[in-house]
Amino acid sequence: MTLQQQTYEMIRGSLIELFQLEPGRITPEARLADDLEIDSIDAVDLVDHVRRLTGRKISAEDFRSVRTVGDLVHALERLVHT
Amino acid sequence: MRGCNNFLADKRRTSHLPCARARRAEYDACLRTREGGLSAVNERGDAYYWRLFATACCFVVFGLGGLALGLVVFPLTRLLPGGELAQRERVRRTLGAVLRWFADFTVFMGVLTYEVSGAERLGRPGQLVLANHPSLIDVVFLLAFSPSSSCIGKQALWANPFTRGPVSAAGYVSNDTVEGMIEGASAALRSGQSVIIFPEGTRTAPGRPLQFHRGAAAIAIRAAQVVTPVYIRCSPPTLAKNVPWYRIPERRFHVSLRTGEDIDPEPFRRSAAAPIAGRRLSARLLQLYTAELAASEAAIETANGAAMRTGSGE
Repeated sequence: MTLQQQTYEMIRGSLIELFQLEPGRITPEARLADDLEIDSIDAVDLVDHVRRLTGRKISAEDFRSVRTVGDLVHALERLVHT
Repeated sequence: MRGCNNFLADKRRTSHLPCARARRAEYDACLRTREGGLSAVNERGDAYYWRLFATACCFVVFGLGGLALGLVVFPLTRLLPGGELAQRERVRRTLGAVLRWFADFTVFMGVLTYEVSGAERLGRPGQLVLANHPSLIDVVFLLAFSPSSSCIGKQALWANPFTRGPVSAAGYVSNDTVEGMIEGASAALRSGQSVIIFPEGTRTAPGRPLQFHRGAAAIAIRAAQVVTPVYIRCSPPTLAKNVPWYRIPERRFHVSLRTGEDIDPEPFRRSAAAPIAGRRLSARLLQLYTAELAASEAAIETANGAAMRTGSGE
């Protein structure tokens, strides 16, 4: 499994655990706000959760341009590998 | 709670009129006997032009007070010894005392009457105090009766020259960004402060069903030891959102604050991960408020009806 796949799986797991989403709804193209109904308050919880999982200092600022699950994976990849 | 013993528990504060419930009847009687021997108390009690003038006075006093606190008083108290915590405590105590004075000033001027119940249960460590927000003046009473608390306010208060000084000196939390608000309020709760939040996020839109932002519940799930609702009524409604200050109600208004039963966030916290737990708590809170406000609405209707009947029988 590539690193990107691992990151994607982690995000997928987080979304299912935190928001009790049906696994089928989570795809790289799914838009967080429009398709998965994750609003700005949820985003704070999500960032928090990812912060705990990765042990990285991550701020909401890092996710400003994130729209889809795929964007989130890319943003996190960049953070973890820099 | 320190500093406000005389205001505790069910103390109704009215200046001249005997009973708020009879005010409608008095008002009607006052209209009927306008030519006759009308007492000075009634004349002043509901006299429109006086209340308009008095309302303007209250706004001016509030503004000047805010300026004076921000520009003179708090910069001076900063010179007193003590660390950040002591400074903040001092600012909040001063602000609470000034706002209590201001609350009584509005009563003295005949603009409103008020009652506060259960204030002794506000201001506990880690307590998230929720309040609905029917009018501009609610926060005056909350801060006056829970002076040690922090408070979440809209960002505009930090830009407004009349409120900037007090809100920054008191170390309140701004709702500028969702993350900043949630983190700031959670940190305040964890450090043992109590935090006041208006879960509607803004003043109530009159005539619309109550709506809560989930921010309050999210903060509660993260960091509150206990959640305490305060139910605020403003009757007749006034100083609501988008209503200019000079549109004063037809009679002196009555503000009542009732401290409700504590809610333990722990069962919600245990029931699911934070986002879902927050949604559940938020739904529960909205349900509580909607029921409580509908019940007090009905009680006031009944009381007014009774007062009207008694009044017309006299």
